[in-house]
Amino acid sequence: MRNMFSDAPRTTLTAFYWAFLLYLLLPLTLMMAMSFKDANFVAFPIGDWTLDWYAKVMQDKQFLEACLYSVMIAAASTLAATTLGTWIAMLIVAEGIKGQVIIFALACLPAVVPGMISAISMRIFISTIDMPTGTAAIILGHTVHAVPFVVVMALTRLRSMPGNLVDAARDLGADSVVAFFRVTLPYLGPALVGGMIFCVLLSIDDFVRTFFLGGYRPTLPMLIFAKVQGGMSPEINAMATLVLVVTAAVGLYAEYLTRRARTR
Amino acid sequence: MQPVFQFDNVTKSYGKHVAVENLNLSIEAGKFVTLLGPSGCGKSTSLRMLGGFETPNSGRILLGGKDVTRVPPNKRNVNIVFQDYALFPHMTIAKNIAFGLELKGFDNQHIHRRVNELLELVQLQDYAKRLPSELSGGQRQRVALMRALAPDPEVLLLDEPLSALDAKLRQQMQIELKSIQEKTGKTFMFVTHDQEEALTMSDTIVVMNKGRIEQMGDPNTLYGRPGSVFVANFIGETNLLRSTVVGTEGDTAALSWNGVTIKAAPGGLAPKAGDNLYVVLRPEAIHCSADEPATGNRIKGKVRQRVFKGNHTSLSVEVGDGALLNALVHPSDVAQLSGDDVWVGWKPETTTVIPDRHAHN
Repeated sequence: MRNMFSDAPRTTLTAFYWAFLLYLLLPLTLMMAMSFKDANFVAFPIGDWTLDWYAKVMQDKQFLEACLYSVMIAAASTLAATTLGTWIAMLIVAEGIKGQVIIFALACLPAVVPGMISAISMRIFISTIDMPTGTAAIILGHTVHAVPFVVVMALTRLRSMPGNLVDAARDLGADSVVAFFRVTLPYLGPALVGGMIFCVLLSIDDFVRTFFLGGYRPTLPMLIFAKVQGGMSPEINAMATLVLVVTAAVGLYAEYLTRRARTR
Repeated sequence: MQPVFQFDNVTKSYGKHVAVENLNLSIEAGKFVTLLGPSGCGKSTSLRMLGGFETPNSGRILLGGKDVTRVPPNKRNVNIVFQDYALFPHMTIAKNIAFGLELKGFDNQHIHRRVNELLELVQLQDYAKRLPSELSGGQRQRVALMRALAPDPEVLLLDEPLSALDAKLRQQMQIELKSIQEKTGKTFMFVTHDQEEALTMSDTIVVMNKGRIEQMGDPNTLYGRPGSVFVANFIGETNLLRSTVVGTEGDTAALSWNGVTIKAAPGGLAPKAGDNLYVVLRPEAIHCSADEPATGNRIKGKVRQRVFKGNHTSLSVEVGDGALLNALVHPSDVAQLSGDDVWVGWKPETTTVIPDRHAHN
């Protein structure tokens, strides 16, 4: 009897865990399954299986262009966010700079402001400064959104860095620029790679900001959104499955990298 | 001979806290000099000022005769071995050692040769391609030393580099450091709070206290003839006898200590009757015997505690009005003592006399 009672919380927890996993994976599994259906509409039963939808997606010029566009925006905003974020993190740990708490709070703000608010304010901002909507505006929006994540990751790594590594470099004849590129940056390396991959995922995934700041050229999420409005088709499922597989792989790799960085 | 480095009336303070006050120090080339003192005595600040990481509030620092007071660390020809080594974790051992050489603009061939030469000096040739994380503490220590020596600095600064090692390895490294210093002929400035390290390796010890130099000299002098109560207490174990002058006769003074009369040579102090003096009596200078010694100071006492320490026994002997004297006795001598009644004796010339005015330190 005692055993049954003491095991109860654990059993419940395990049950919740499985329920959660099912809830998480079932929709994804269904979506993926439908992408292999040999028919024009998304519904059960699946009946015949096919890879035709994938073949079609791979030849879909719109899809390929959207992919390229998304990747380009992700690359640009990641580069900008990583540079900015690293710089801000360096400022925060630097000696003799006042208001470091404020810098940190400001840098983290974009991560907590609701996407919609930040998208609208960004839109108002760019029209105030007469900046056209489109690629540059999207990159700007994505960069601002991604900076906090880089700051936090770089900061964690910087704080674990022995203080006199840079002193040692200076002592051996490096000026502060050489010390940064030859000692600090390599030390930050793993954290930055992790942060960059995270930035890429944030950018590829972003809908709200792109929606408000974009022009006529669709990014991947915009394209899928437009297609869904035209009615569900297994082709969309195939697209979504491709995006899912690629981003999940990249995300897991980033997690692996940051984990390795933490244990080293 | 021109000193290799020189502190000229250097003062450094942080807000109200004065870390180093009017420091004057000049060291000849090729010496192993140790700054010794408790934490907060200003020894590390002095090292960082010589390294270029701190700027004095006043005074000058000269390196090879040139004023380097405001020269940044990367433009000074001194290198530091840091307390936690500060090896670059992402570079191999060879790359770590090559770092300073590369920045000095040597060609690859020269760098390669020099790195190998240094690795051979500490028998780490087989570790050239390893990362610092794959080395033991002692090995990292050696690499840090070689990295700092590689660019051929005028002075090598060592900031408590042995404190992270265990006792046995530390002793081994003391000997190794000293032999590397002798082999390379470099000037080493070593900073430590460990008096044993200082005594083992140094040509010159500079004892610092509260930002000032308390005493400077070779290890023998500092141990045998401490100039202040602080130095006497800081270096080695000491019986410090606060006594009053009763009378003088030639260069010996009769002193009243703790109800007994002892003799000591006050040197150039020329005390008058009634003056207070400290007599520094090292535990190993005391002889304990069952019979009364024929000459020298001798007091009858009772053994209160015996601590066996292997190669010697530490006796705590109660003498006079209840004062305790600490004596180091050879175990075979202890065996000859019957019971707790002993005579403690010492030769007056083995003691040092310090005037009382240093007492407030």
